[in-house]
Amino acid sequence: MSLPQFAIVGHPNKGKSSIVSTLAEDESVHISPLSGTTVENRVYPMTVDGDVLYELIDTPGFQRARAALEWMRQHAESSMDRSDTVRRFVQTHNDDPTFTAECQLLTPILDGAGILYVVDGSRPFGEEYEAEMEILRWSGQPSMALINMIGNSDYTHDWEKALGQFFRIVRVFDVMQADFYKRLQLLTAFGELHEDWRMPLDKAVDILQQEQGRRRQLSAQLIAEMLARMLTHVNSHRLKDGENTELAREKLLEKYQQELVAMEQHCRLEVEQVYQHKNLQRQEPLVELLKQDMFSRQTWVLFGLTRKQLIATGAIGGAAAGSVIDLAVHGTSLLLGSGLGALTGAVSAWLTADKIANVKMLGHTLGGEEISVGPMPNINFPYVALGRAMLHQRIIEERTHANRGPLTIDPQTVSWQMSDSATRRAFEKIFAKLRKQENYNADLTSSLALLIEKQITNNSQVAANSHQD
Amino acid sequence: MTNSTLLTDLIDLNEALQSDSLLDLDERKQRDRRFGLSLQQVRHKPHQQIRRWLRSTNTDHTKGSGRSGSRIYRIVGLVLLVFGLISGWGLASIVLHYDGSQPINIVYALVALVLPQILLLLLWLLGLLPFKLRLFKNIGAMLGLLNPGRLAGQLTSFFNVQGGQGLSAIWNADNAAVLAPVSRWLFSFWSQLFAFSFNIGILIKAFMLVSFSDLAFAWSTTLQFSNAGFHQFLLMLSTPWSAVIPDAVPTAELVANSRYYRLESGSLSANQTSQLAIALGQWWPFLIAAVCCYGLLPRLLTLSISWFRLRQSMQRALCQMPGASELLARMNSPLVSTVAAEPEKTDSSHVHHVAEQTVSKPYALSCPLIVWSQACTDKVQMQAWCQQLGIDVQDYLQAGGRNSIAEDSELLSSLCRTSPDVVVVLVKAWEPPLLEFTDFVQQIRQHCGAKIPIIILLSSAMEKVSDSDRDTWHQALNPLADPNLHIETTGPVA
Repeated sequence: MSLPQFAIVGHPNKGKSSIVSTLAEDESVHISPLSGTTVENRVYPMTVDGDVLYELIDTPGFQRARAALEWMRQHAESSMDRSDTVRRFVQTHNDDPTFTAECQLLTPILDGAGILYVVDGSRPFGEEYEAEMEILRWSGQPSMALINMIGNSDYTHDWEKALGQFFRIVRVFDVMQADFYKRLQLLTAFGELHEDWRMPLDKAVDILQQEQGRRRQLSAQLIAEMLARMLTHVNSHRLKDGENTELAREKLLEKYQQELVAMEQHCRLEVEQVYQHKNLQRQEPLVELLKQDMFSRQTWVLFGLTRKQLIATGAIGGAAAGSVIDLAVHGTSLLLGSGLGALTGAVSAWLTADKIANVKMLGHTLGGEEISVGPMPNINFPYVALGRAMLHQRIIEERTHANRGPLTIDPQTVSWQMSDSATRRAFEKIFAKLRKQENYNADLTSSLALLIEKQITNNSQVAANSHQD
Repeated sequence: MTNSTLLTDLIDLNEALQSDSLLDLDERKQRDRRFGLSLQQVRHKPHQQIRRWLRSTNTDHTKGSGRSGSRIYRIVGLVLLVFGLISGWGLASIVLHYDGSQPINIVYALVALVLPQILLLLLWLLGLLPFKLRLFKNIGAMLGLLNPGRLAGQLTSFFNVQGGQGLSAIWNADNAAVLAPVSRWLFSFWSQLFAFSFNIGILIKAFMLVSFSDLAFAWSTTLQFSNAGFHQFLLMLSTPWSAVIPDAVPTAELVANSRYYRLESGSLSANQTSQLAIALGQWWPFLIAAVCCYGLLPRLLTLSISWFRLRQSMQRALCQMPGASELLARMNSPLVSTVAAEPEKTDSSHVHHVAEQTVSKPYALSCPLIVWSQACTDKVQMQAWCQQLGIDVQDYLQAGGRNSIAEDSELLSSLCRTSPDVVVVLVKAWEPPLLEFTDFVQQIRQHCGAKIPIIILLSSAMEKVSDSDRDTWHQALNPLADPNLHIETTGPVA
């Protein structure tokens, strides 16, 4: 079985590279309004663990189609000979700089690649296209025409009539609006060009669907990890002697907010990379914290113990020491040793706590006043962060790689709702555990990721249904 | 594979995944899938996959925090072990102190050496209860103060120079959602290690005393206990080992013979001292068995449970660390790639600055209009556009499109024979010029000479010509370096 190959050909600047960029999810494809930017064929293989399922070949646009066709007409002996004439043309002009583009784009076609001829349906049909379409017809290879919509005007009907004379299959494919399912539909349609190509392309579609599932799973995991970190994040600062508490508190809150923003930005980048978007310019308002919702606690600590805990520990330690005396005198002390020991331990812990706290060891004071912020107390915060992350994921999933504009995310314009009340309760349960820092278990983030993945799938289902409607 | 190496890996993984996330995802996908394919034999053991991955990338990502963390883990364990041994030894020395004046009260020894251990064991079990109820939560917090493992943890985290790194990364709040079970079982392991060595300390001291000195045990109580009742109580206590070590079960005779009252110094027969000393010494197997059964063995069990649960929780945490699931997915999912195999070669040679206009409008010229590829079919429209530029159109000539190259050439030779003032070519602004068009412009030069102005008039059907289309034409024709080549745009006509 021959490897399915598809040469994307056409007039310059009709979106060939955009279509390749979208289908191959490759934003390295150079897209330029100038003709002749693509000077050499570029191969985009779809590989699964190195095994190639199909190849897309981006080609330079026709530059001298009329002259090439004239040569072919002059050299064709009969209509049976057309395919060979095209081959002879390439052989003859392979080193001729006049027909570099034509030779480049015809070579993979003559090697067996299917033809995907791209035109711009937002511009009127012109007779200058006829020469190139005729050359492609002469090649005798299976072909399909794709009407790309670059602008707002619509000349699809005219194009369909014109293309229908040269190509068996004509499809409209809006490269900027093509979501994942439209891309799959197009790939499936490629399989219609040749019987031998159907099976590998069906396999490719199946693998891409699985890959899409994995991407959603990964995105959900990344979002869950971000939320877990955001909700459990604690920032603390040991106050120095004479340090302005209010100023330190302000700085700590600011640092805390910056750290949350950094966590969100890191998650955004990771999700974008999952969907092969690496150089996006994101325009998104930063996550906001309502300062009145945040509070910083101020506690006295020594070895991580509060004053009360320290006194209790002193009492227990004293009692333990006293009990040794009780034992030594065979209980004749009537447990006075334990009692007095506990009292002594507690009192000395209370009296000496501050002195011990100020002792320096290895450059650290042993204790003192500490202010801390977090974990996030605002019950709405995780929902806001989750909503923003899911909106970003959805936009990224729907965005094609031909779209080189900035990524604008406006959370105000989108409302997000849980699919059902049971899911809402499940979310709240996990958020509450994270917020209260209790009952942690290693599966908490995984459970959260599963819930998010379910939401992502539901949302994309809703979006897909609305597209169909 | 020890818990120490697992702990090393867990700490290193935290750092490795953080620094790895800065790498390009494609690079990570290729590397991890390649590695994953080489680990098919452990495909269903995710923690092993992760650990092997860590080994392969360890030198690149980690700063040795894992090694230093596990060193602290071992040192803390050793300190608690030694401290437990000394404590047990010390307690046994006090409890089993015998100077020959009074026998050691076996009841007192049991209360000191066994009872607190049973109580602490119950507390440990209580600590395992889920903290859903506030009562259990408070008990848990209180027990934390008694827990030598937890106190050791607090000390190690305090002396850690880099906060949240090394061993203290285990109980860093940011990792709490994943690592809380690890820190819980780590503290439990340390505390059980202390308790276990405490019992060993007791036993060593007891064996030493038994081996190198004579001990005399007796029992004495103010409570109304009959010899038979006390014997029954002891039999009940001895049940676990009675079948295995029958010598360690006190007989009724021994119980009866070893009761004493301090007021009655003669209650232990003075004239049978040597036989009695031998008889009273027979209590030691019972005491040792009791310490072993109610102290050492339960602690060995809880130590083992803690060790296994610590190991289990570390293995789980290895797969649950932020980034670990993604890593496993990369290793175990097929690597699907659709991107180009090679970097793109583009021709940027014709990107130039837009040339300055050398002639200003209106042109006040008269000439035929060459319509390239049927750029427009409406003569009135074309006339109006040209008039805006001050050009009077004498005739409309068709070039490009369905014309042959020869027809275009013939058209130009006949046009130039009339020596026009200017050559105006109307083109579609939205179709960027192909080489075919630049060939045509060069043909105009060949036929009409280098001096004649050539005006390329960009039209855009009903719309205004966009700036980007105009720029594209400028950039595409600039390489011709023709000072007499002008590009104009048609505007909307009223």
